[in-house]
Amino acid sequence: MVARVAGVFDEKLTEAIANSKILVVGAGGIGCEILKNLVLTGFPNIEIIDLDTIDVSNLNRQFLFHKEHVGKSKAQVAKDSALSFNPNVNIVAHHDSVISNDYGVSYFKQFQIVMNALDNRVARNHVNRMCLAANVPLIETGTAGYAGQVELIKKGLTQCYECQPKAPQKTFPGCTIRNTPSEPIHCIVWAKHLFNQLFGEEDPDQDVSPDTADPEAAGEAGASALTTEGNTAGNVERKSTRTWAAETNYEPEKLFSKLFGDDIRYLLSMENLWKKRRPPTPLVWDNLPGKDNPPAQHSGLPDQRVWSVHECAQVFAASCDALQKDLKSRPEGDHLVWDKDEKSAMDFVTACANIRAHIFNIPLKSRFEIKSMAGNIIPAIATANAIVAGLAVLRAQAVLRGDIQTCTSVYLRPKVNHRGQLFVPEKTLTPPNPKCYVCAPKPEVGLACNLKQLTLKDLTSAFKEGLNMQAPDATVEGKGLVVLSSEPGETDHNNDKTLEEIGLNDGCALLVDDFLQNYEVRVRLQQEDEEKSWRLVTDTDAPMPAPKEEEKPANGSNGSDPKPGPSTSRTREDSDSDMEIIEEDDDEPTVKPPKRRRTEMSDEIVNLC
Amino acid sequence: MVENNEIELSEAEAEQYDRQIRLWGLESQKRLRASKVLIIGIAGLGAEIAKNVILSGVKSVCLLDNEKLKEIDLYSQFLAPPDKIGENRAEASLTRARALNPMVEITSETKSVDDLPDSYFAEYDIVCATGLKQEQLERINNACRDSNKKFLCGDVWGMYGYMFADLVDHEYSEEIVQHKAVKRNVDETEKNARETVSITVKRRAIYVPLQNALSVDWMKPEYRSRLRRGDPSYFVMKILLRFKDEYNRNPDPAKRKEDTKILLRMRDELVKELSLPANFIVDALLLDVFGTVSGAAAVIGGVIGQEVVKAVSQREPPHNNMFFFNPVKCVGFVELYGQ
Repeated sequence: MVARVAGVFDEKLTEAIANSKILVVGAGGIGCEILKNLVLTGFPNIEIIDLDTIDVSNLNRQFLFHKEHVGKSKAQVAKDSALSFNPNVNIVAHHDSVISNDYGVSYFKQFQIVMNALDNRVARNHVNRMCLAANVPLIETGTAGYAGQVELIKKGLTQCYECQPKAPQKTFPGCTIRNTPSEPIHCIVWAKHLFNQLFGEEDPDQDVSPDTADPEAAGEAGASALTTEGNTAGNVERKSTRTWAAETNYEPEKLFSKLFGDDIRYLLSMENLWKKRRPPTPLVWDNLPGKDNPPAQHSGLPDQRVWSVHECAQVFAASCDALQKDLKSRPEGDHLVWDKDEKSAMDFVTACANIRAHIFNIPLKSRFEIKSMAGNIIPAIATANAIVAGLAVLRAQAVLRGDIQTCTSVYLRPKVNHRGQLFVPEKTLTPPNPKCYVCAPKPEVGLACNLKQLTLKDLTSAFKEGLNMQAPDATVEGKGLVVLSSEPGETDHNNDKTLEEIGLNDGCALLVDDFLQNYEVRVRLQQEDEEKSWRLVTDTDAPMPAPKEEEKPANGSNGSDPKPGPSTSRTREDSDSDMEIIEEDDDEPTVKPPKRRRTEMSDEIVNLC
Repeated sequence: MVENNEIELSEAEAEQYDRQIRLWGLESQKRLRASKVLIIGIAGLGAEIAKNVILSGVKSVCLLDNEKLKEIDLYSQFLAPPDKIGENRAEASLTRARALNPMVEITSETKSVDDLPDSYFAEYDIVCATGLKQEQLERINNACRDSNKKFLCGDVWGMYGYMFADLVDHEYSEEIVQHKAVKRNVDETEKNARETVSITVKRRAIYVPLQNALSVDWMKPEYRSRLRRGDPSYFVMKILLRFKDEYNRNPDPAKRKEDTKILLRMRDELVKELSLPANFIVDALLLDVFGTVSGAAAVIGGVIGQEVVKAVSQREPPHNNMFFFNPVKCVGFVELYGQ
């Protein structure tokens, strides 16, 4: 509307806005604010995409939503609310994942600018590629607490979202989770895995039983205990936890005795583990600490009180019952999905994590704290979102006005820097990384693996997880031999063959492409006998994403880490974290290795991960 | 200032404010819930501040405005619906303001600030004034100051904006993160884990009133040296406040040409008066000061909203005492004036 009032902007910008079409990806905290600014400013054509529905914890910042909207589509309600500000604007809302065949390169090409207001890396990577392929400027935004940033991405002009490797998500060795936890997070990860073993999607990588293949325990490995049920694979061969639980009818006391009694005694038998560690203490159901003491007076939120072990056991029993009933009420083969906002699921994880923590002499945490850690909550607030969205729309205006060269990245700092700056712009645009395996003219990357062991199935997950592809196709360079096909069934019969078996050797190159992303990369294979799985090799020194060979930590709103699934699958868009940047305090030690972006002064370091 | 409310949060409050409690803590949320806020001037910037403050979960917000809703307001003011043009701006904003957060008490006041006694402003814990003239701002600031109440003001002209804060004598706590090595295992050779420990320190900040900040002597070396930093935003604010004083209005988009001339003339006068370097205040800064651009209102409203939260929750260092947003460079910075 401003654009329609002559004189607010110069003629060039007024005209450019009037002829623009903008795509907003995400209708969360930043998305709501961006949409409001665009509508008020008079951008006449806007599309907004979000697959999420409204939750009550969104209401403190996603101001286009009110209590009565809880459970409804974010994109649709955002559209309706924004239209009430200015009914003359044309808004199209999509309650959908942006990672879908419906939004291909030609879809993206119709926009002058795409504005990202996302909260997860998978979708950000995808939109980055779509905008590169469509050659549309992308304004990428994010906030975390008081901090935030706005960044322009334009093919050939600036670095892309993937020019600098991102810090891999923190992982924990499986044996730490299963055998020797030493921090609360280890117990929380274990508890989430247990949830999946009992009620969710069973994942062999999320075993919760003692791990007898622990290198530390090797040699003697509690021989007496192992001879009967141990096998070479390291997992104690017995019924799956799920089958066993079902047979005992999920009786809490029996489950408790197995998980927190028998399994712990089993761990104790692996004596090597406890030579230098304090050994765990198995628990007995009817004699738990805190049984006879009433809870102490507590001020603060009820969720902020730390439960006694006895209370944990009671919550364990109650949540087991509730979850088991929920599971039973579902059709055969269906399973539950862990959700931090689902009461029983959150109760279960709190109780199990704390009981295990007690066993291993690790400090107990409140339900409130465990929710943050298990749900990977990055708190978002209205003001930071408003500032970042405001800056993003001002940047969009500059792009439309033809001042794209001035649109450097801007950082909102949690506190002013020593020069008193709260919003810190970079002095120049950051040029593309010529060796970027996404936006370079001829993208290339190395894949180090043991060709004798890596199967085609593993190769597919390397391309999906490592290269963020949705549906990879791969052919051998020079030969045209199809190694992987995204057509269902076409190459499935080769899934279990190793790369060597299908004739690939060291130095071989594959041409891998994702049709939807219009993205092709040349992948050089490098034989490494020592490599257990696979590893991407680029010319930069920073570490590259590695496969999921170890236990993933608490991450995301569901039990398993978001995996870039097939193009039709939902991508996790957890409204709790609007971005993935982490800005370190000046006195914070370097935790993560990736690309450090320098703003003007050397002590102003923003870690873009 | 804000009495520490000992009443526990209800379940509904805990649920709705969950994310921000995780950021600023329960104590801050309780302080917020006990505070009364007055927002003066419910145009684009006032609406943005109101939104942020209401969402944060304060006790009450009063929207004060004696002007009627005009069409041009709608380009940045999202609280008043388009069909209420001609009605009082504060009253027209009530329904949507209440819908933002039904747990906050929202009222309106339609009198001009000039018709309200000093004692009126002292009823609030914090006053945010927008869209007023310098003289009006100084009067309200002093009224607040006399009762030891906090005062913020700010404005947005086009894409440019500023904020001023007078929190009088402000005590606050600040969380400082420290790192210490912790030993978890019996074996001392095992790598020690590092744990971040945050400690809370009490601090105090002394503020000056607006008139001091607006009447600094640029001939004095301590201010003169600031010119080297090269950001003319303070002077842009001076020019726009003078424009408002002289013409009793803001630069008008409908008179973009004439008003640009006036602004450039006023700029030249100020440069001469203060012997500022030539070209110090670039033309570009005075070309984008028409109307209220929504993106800029969101930016300044976000900064002011956060300062209200910091001030009433007495947590984290608030800005002392002026914040400027320079849209040409896209830089936002804080400087202390008049102390």
